[in-house]
Amino acid sequence: MTVKPLAGLRVVERAAGVAAAQAGRLLRQMGADVIMAEPPGGTSLRQEPPLLPGGTSALFTYLSVGKCSVICDPDDGFRKDIDALLATANILIDDTPVADRAALGLDPDRIAAAHPHLVHLSVLPFGAFGPKADWAGEELTLVHAGGEGFLLPNGLSADLFPDRPPLKIAGHFAQLQGGTTAAMAAIAALWSGKGQFVDASVQDANVAVGAFAIQRFGDGSIEHRLTRSFKFGGVIKCADGYVELLTLESRQWQGLVDLLGADDWAADRELADEVGRSARGAEINQRIRSWARGWKVEDLVRAAQDRGVPMARYNTPAQVLEGAQERARGIFQAVEADGGPVKVQSLPFRFGPEALSVDGAVPAPGDQQALLDAEDAKRETA
Amino acid sequence: MKPLAGLRIADFTVHAAGPFCTHMLSQLGAEVIKVETALRPDIFRKSHAVYGRQGPATFDQVSSNKLSVRLNLKHPDGVALAKHLVSVADIAAESFRAGVMERLGLGYDALRAVKRDIVMVSVSSSGQSGPESHFAGYAPLFGAWGGIGYLSGHADGPPMEMRHVMDHSVGMNAALATIAALHHRRRTGEGSHVDVAAREVASSLVGDALTAASAGIAVERMGNADPRRAPHGLYPTQAPDRWLSIAVASDAAWQRLAAIIGRPELVSDPRFITADKRHANCADLDALLTRWTSARDGEETARQLQSAGIAAHMSWAASDIVTDPHMRARGSIVDVAETNGVMRAAVGRVARFSVDDSPGITRGTPELGGDEAYVYGDLLGLSQSRIDALVADRAIY
Repeated sequence: MTVKPLAGLRVVERAAGVAAAQAGRLLRQMGADVIMAEPPGGTSLRQEPPLLPGGTSALFTYLSVGKCSVICDPDDGFRKDIDALLATANILIDDTPVADRAALGLDPDRIAAAHPHLVHLSVLPFGAFGPKADWAGEELTLVHAGGEGFLLPNGLSADLFPDRPPLKIAGHFAQLQGGTTAAMAAIAALWSGKGQFVDASVQDANVAVGAFAIQRFGDGSIEHRLTRSFKFGGVIKCADGYVELLTLESRQWQGLVDLLGADDWAADRELADEVGRSARGAEINQRIRSWARGWKVEDLVRAAQDRGVPMARYNTPAQVLEGAQERARGIFQAVEADGGPVKVQSLPFRFGPEALSVDGAVPAPGDQQALLDAEDAKRETA
Repeated sequence: MKPLAGLRIADFTVHAAGPFCTHMLSQLGAEVIKVETALRPDIFRKSHAVYGRQGPATFDQVSSNKLSVRLNLKHPDGVALAKHLVSVADIAAESFRAGVMERLGLGYDALRAVKRDIVMVSVSSSGQSGPESHFAGYAPLFGAWGGIGYLSGHADGPPMEMRHVMDHSVGMNAALATIAALHHRRRTGEGSHVDVAAREVASSLVGDALTAASAGIAVERMGNADPRRAPHGLYPTQAPDRWLSIAVASDAAWQRLAAIIGRPELVSDPRFITADKRHANCADLDALLTRWTSARDGEETARQLQSAGIAAHMSWAASDIVTDPHMRARGSIVDVAETNGVMRAAVGRVARFSVDDSPGITRGTPELGGDEAYVYGDLLGLSQSRIDALVADRAIY
């Protein structure tokens, strides 16, 4: 595929939060034109830390590279501006709180009447419908509303700090899930050929990716972070860093026994099957943790993978950026930011041998204001 | 009609990430035919004693809605039948290690030969190319490779292991990419081979941190802290091990919080007068809030804070989610009847569509090979005697 899969689509994005901006990012990186309709001064995402040397937000850079921007002032001609943009758009992404929508003309009924062709994607912390539709959400509260927060950490962290409260996942995990799910729903709706309102919820998306806990509940048990650890393996400390070890199949266990040089104690008949090994997981893990401390990460991972034992290094950001696999697949691409070049990851999927290109610049507020003027002119001519 | 109604998927995926992709597409209306063999059933259909208990792991949720056929891909007639199935499908999905489908005679070129515009989706740990494409991996390894594991955890502790959410994030991305490839097919008439790399999904979830790191900015584990917001954390409530998450993102929210906790004077306290000062003195804020929340009912407090526009939510276990009126009203949690008649809670549709508001799941886990009469008979047009012969020869097995 030489052309990006969503080339030719036009998206209008009103995003104050990460989730809606992530939906727009995904569509942009797959080839759609994405026009951010920003308030005067720009979206608050432009101020989210960490900031790059030139003062631009790394988060905004990641979410917005390749998009363009027009300023739509809620106090001055907003509805006319939005209608001008939507007339030629396929998708509207909006995270305006439900209570504020009607005043701006962004309520689903008005949008559907004025733009019946449009997929109107609402992206809110708890969705646009239901008793909590007006609830506020931040990353921390959403990862807990979705259930995964309650279940973290496991394994070594939980062993070391059993009395500490649950722990969030780094960064903006919950909101990015919300945005990815919303983007999926929007292009599914677009596939159907019917303009419609699509109501996406960050909480729903996180409950979905955490579906295993719901299934376990249906099976009769409630997962808890201190009891759902892998019985052995997990995060293992080495001489110069950490690795992750997980053996699910018998042949992988045999590889691990070989790696450990544990023909003696591992020959115990009680350890011959998975149930027996699980029952004595703490003892096995003690042996693994003690043994691994003498190894360097790189040597250990190579020895493990050579034996078919699933193991990975806990990569630092620098190691990810410079990883042999990542470099070979060309997933980090140079983007010019105002403080100098930075790297931005392309999408984690591709439609042929090459990574999707990360095209364009980080948009300044209103960098394509002429676009709005042109749409206005077109409408006046019509 | 659901948005993807009329699409058909030949589903060769196993474990969690790949099946979650086709599960999402199924909830959106696609017909998914899951291919398995009794020789080696999906490991997640089997017992999974690594958790110290017997019983299937993640299989039921991601298999809901799907049709099941047995097919022995190590038998030449099995491979031929697989191609026949692909020839009547829009999408072929798989999640073996890179190269396995080629070795089975079912690589992209082979599938394209039987269905010119097929969209093939390959989900793997490290992608279809590169020096580590052969690496074995599961969810916690994806997180380790991708940097999100390193960046998660207590500031004074080790990296944090990622679990099933990592698998399912991969599946969600794969479903998105698959629908995008369908749009491309509609516009150009061309199929494509979608290559989804789980470790790249993991790194994409900390993409902003990686961009910052590429500019020389130090990014490290920071537990539950936020680079800007304070108070920001998990606070104890009157019930043991029940925690309330609170995140204050603006001056206005802070002022309302100070009023609610009965300490309006804190707004003019020099330690808390600006966002930067609140962040610098977050330990003092945490102590104040902990004293306030410790004797309170968590749910009631969350509602009180939300009524003032402050982001707060209890740290919810599955039991809280499945009984939540909000989730039930949205159809995000539904009850599904299993083939043995037992009802269980499941995750329903992940978005609501104004054109079609019907449930995402309409049936539970299929029996292994439970839909062969429809798939091999009605769909592929095989006679019963031909099906019987393939069964006898263990091509259907």
